[in-house]
Amino acid sequence: MAKLKAPPEIDLERLNEIVNEHALKRWALIPLVQEVQAEFGFIPPRVVPIIANKLHLFPSEVQGVVSFYEQLYTEPRGRNIVRVCRGTACHVRGGKTILKLVKRQLELEENETSEDLEYTLETVACLGVCALSPTMVINNQVYGHMNPKKVKELFKREGES
Amino acid sequence: MQPVTITINQKVVSGHAGMSILEIARESGIDIPTICHDPNLQPVGACRLCLVENEETGALVASCVTAVSPGMVINTNSQRVLEHRKNIVKLLLASHPDACLICDKGNRCILQQIATDLGLGFNDLDKISQPAVVKELNPFIARDASKCVMCGKCVRACQEIVVEGAIDYYRRGFAARPATFNDAPLEQSECTFCGLCVSLCPTGALIEKIKPYQGTTGHSIQTTCSFCGCGCPITMEVKDNRVVRALPGKVDSSSPGALCIRGSYGYDYIHSKERLTEPLLKENGVFKAVSWDEALKTAGAGLKRAKEQHGPDVLAVYGSSRCTNEENYLIQKFARTVLGTNNVDNGSNFYNLATRAGLGNATGLLSTTNLLEALEQADLILVVGADPPMTAPRLGYSIKRAVKYRQAKLILVEPRRTKLAFFSHQWLRPRPGSDLALLNSMAWTVIKENLFNPEYINRQTEGFLGFSEALDGCSPESTVEITGVPPDEIRHAAHTYAGENKAVIVFGSGLISAVNGTESIKALANLALLTDNVWGSGCGIYPIQKENNAQGACEMGALPEYLPGYQPISSPEIRSKFERLWKEKVPLKPGIPVVEAFSRGRETPFKALYVIGENLTSLTRPSLNTDAISALDFMIAQDLFMTKTAACADVIFPAASFAEKEGSYTNFEGKIGWLQQAFPPVGESLPDWEIILRLAREMGAPLPYSSLQQVVNEIEEFVPLYEGYDRPAERLEDKWSYWDERRSRAFQSLSGFPCFSIPESGSQPGEKPKDYPYYLILEANLAYFGSGTRSGQAWRLKSHYPPEILKISAADAEKLSLADGDEVNIISLHAQVKAPVEVTDIVPPGTLSLPASFPNATELFKTGFDQESKAPSPEACYVKLERVKADGQVKSAPRNRS
Repeated sequence: MAKLKAPPEIDLERLNEIVNEHALKRWALIPLVQEVQAEFGFIPPRVVPIIANKLHLFPSEVQGVVSFYEQLYTEPRGRNIVRVCRGTACHVRGGKTILKLVKRQLELEENETSEDLEYTLETVACLGVCALSPTMVINNQVYGHMNPKKVKELFKREGES
Repeated sequence: MQPVTITINQKVVSGHAGMSILEIARESGIDIPTICHDPNLQPVGACRLCLVENEETGALVASCVTAVSPGMVINTNSQRVLEHRKNIVKLLLASHPDACLICDKGNRCILQQIATDLGLGFNDLDKISQPAVVKELNPFIARDASKCVMCGKCVRACQEIVVEGAIDYYRRGFAARPATFNDAPLEQSECTFCGLCVSLCPTGALIEKIKPYQGTTGHSIQTTCSFCGCGCPITMEVKDNRVVRALPGKVDSSSPGALCIRGSYGYDYIHSKERLTEPLLKENGVFKAVSWDEALKTAGAGLKRAKEQHGPDVLAVYGSSRCTNEENYLIQKFARTVLGTNNVDNGSNFYNLATRAGLGNATGLLSTTNLLEALEQADLILVVGADPPMTAPRLGYSIKRAVKYRQAKLILVEPRRTKLAFFSHQWLRPRPGSDLALLNSMAWTVIKENLFNPEYINRQTEGFLGFSEALDGCSPESTVEITGVPPDEIRHAAHTYAGENKAVIVFGSGLISAVNGTESIKALANLALLTDNVWGSGCGIYPIQKENNAQGACEMGALPEYLPGYQPISSPEIRSKFERLWKEKVPLKPGIPVVEAFSRGRETPFKALYVIGENLTSLTRPSLNTDAISALDFMIAQDLFMTKTAACADVIFPAASFAEKEGSYTNFEGKIGWLQQAFPPVGESLPDWEIILRLAREMGAPLPYSSLQQVVNEIEEFVPLYEGYDRPAERLEDKWSYWDERRSRAFQSLSGFPCFSIPESGSQPGEKPKDYPYYLILEANLAYFGSGTRSGQAWRLKSHYPPEILKISAADAEKLSLADGDEVNIISLHAQVKAPVEVTDIVPPGTLSLPASFPNATELFKTGFDQESKAPSPEACYVKLERVKADGQVKSAPRNRS
């Protein structure tokens, strides 16, 4: 994971609002941490004791749940989530190269987030749009028939031609 | 419960609906191997080794999590089952290091045992590399995740039994393992080092640190812990006259065995090099080792001389709540018949007087009104001025279990943020010393808002009218000045307490040895009586006992006013009963409590004192006690170590530790725990009871016993509630009828119905001296016990003492412009000590706290006496702070920054 310059500030007031909203519900933990993630982009370890305290759970218990689920994140994620497909159809149509190019362009390895929190790079097993292969998704937008030019175009930095 | 009959291995067995196949098989003597199962933990079916074949369906099921159904046909070792079981073990071994020869778990490893049973030696599966040892600094527990088989016993034990929640599973799949929050070392987690996980770990993943490789012992004994009032049973593994390991002992099935840091690791003091091993005689201020004969002769002559010169009432014997029942029985008999005085006392009396005076009217019982198991049935638990997780860990476990797993509500009344604050549903934070006002306000609310059952009050209690009148003016609004608790919170607490069906009250030293202690306990008893919560399952009042035999020492009559069984010395019938039994005169004049006598300093009425296993200098202000000791003509000390008290003595007898003798302890519930001798006493030391018998013989008045058993027999015959106490198994089985007996006796001792006590008007927490703005409290902790005589000699405990710092609230720290680490002088009216500060939210503004282990902290306090009960009532300790500047100069801290 690329080192962050400074961990993002957490708005504790907003956190407490979310926590209090869920505290009295039954089986509150997972919906609660999902909402925290939706709000802050990830679940900062330092909010775990606050959540645990309110739900009468142990911090280790909450951590156990958060660390179990692949889609609950304990580190900050980029504003844009890039998911490159490594399914079979994409693979035979050069998906591996597309991934390599995206990595080079973003200067990120898989599951890393850029220092400016702009991008997080992930891979997915299959997007289900094999007809468009090789494919990738940025946030909720699917990009098909990827090629090196398109990759460059998509992740063009400021001042780059 | 519905009976169920099934067939296991062609054998017809029966149990009842709801049992698992494993339980039924074990009950019928059929062995099914398992790693993750423990009868005290929730079954999870993690290890899959207990799989069995259902012969009708052909399914392989994990027997620990499969409930029986009628007519099931089960095979536990068919060819198919064995094959699968072997494969599972092979897979476990594939991710387990080949380190058996150098593993501390050795032959105790369950994985190894099961592999051997299945005939598995060479493993043809490839090894999977595993995570390495976790680095920790604590001296208690070492973790090696590579040996973990993910049975989850440690995680479940930590959450379900001791309810600390220090560890849980972390991550998943191959990466999963038990870990603390943030994967921190144990010492930075919630872990209290109770050692339960280590005792349950089937492999070498959790072992005792520092002292590994002691091997497997062939010899283990069942004994009883020597520290707090819980008196937990301990299984002690012994090898070559040394304790190798202490594990939770067998408790009855209703409560799982668990120890705390003291029970698991505190035994180190037995083997301390500082143990006294020879009798010592002081000559010209220097101790010299002498023979037993010489020491006994000098001791006997000293006592006789004082008696001849001044009469028997200048002699006193100070027994011990750390000695066994039998020893305390002998101690009081020695004082009464050999010395001829009722000046006999024990260390816990100091503490228990307030409880006795407070509870006597309402319950007739001078201790808990119920068993610990009953506490877990409560709907509501009210904890006042107590920190059970620190002072009585097993009681703490029960409270936390009731809250976490039985949905009991917890109301905590405590100024400090203690561990229970996390579990509490309502946390009242009164100003220290204002519990009395708060409790009276709760009772006021219950009465004024008709939250009680008038029929019960009319028919089964006395003194209600006087009580309710005396409460006038105790409304939550009128006490808010004293308590600082918002009236609505008090009202809410009163409604919760009175509204729940079964409520329990737990109180401890925060209440007992605080200002108005006796009165506060009366107020608690009133509250319980008012809502009919004194008796019955899930109800009761639980005072915490500090020492493991506090209860027993008092019940054995090591008290100035009572003969054994709390039979008053003032009653001529009781006295003549004991005179007939002992064939000796029993002195008439009630004795003087030792603490009272000592609080007079140099004016103490005692001339000669025989101290057994108590450290006098720790009782009240040490300097006053030192004055009293120096005023004595002659003093005998009997102890394990050269305590400050022993150092003042003329003769010292070396005593045997709890592992080196036999006898019994009575815990705070009234349950008996027996000691079993692990090895002979170290050096020339002797069990306390034997020393007392020898001294009596030396003084020409031998007590008529040649063995401990004879003492036991006499206690059984003459001490109420101790009939059959040396048959613990029977007594355990029959514990509820024993409790009924206790209860009916308590009722008999009441003059009528349980009676309300009239609250006194003075509920102010003491006068605040001018310029001393802060209230100081001493904070109990797990590693330090009593006055530190034993815990200070247990090196692992000692290394785990809390840092010597003063805790201060952020608000106060800001006012004084203090930051973490700044040194201050803490000045009370009586003394001053120096300490660095830590800014924390543990204490509320206006309150400071020092750890009880802080050297000379007790000097800051002063103990007064409740005139009625003779119970010590420590005055509130108000202090001021002065900053110590870097150059050592003292500058008065400004009261206000602005």
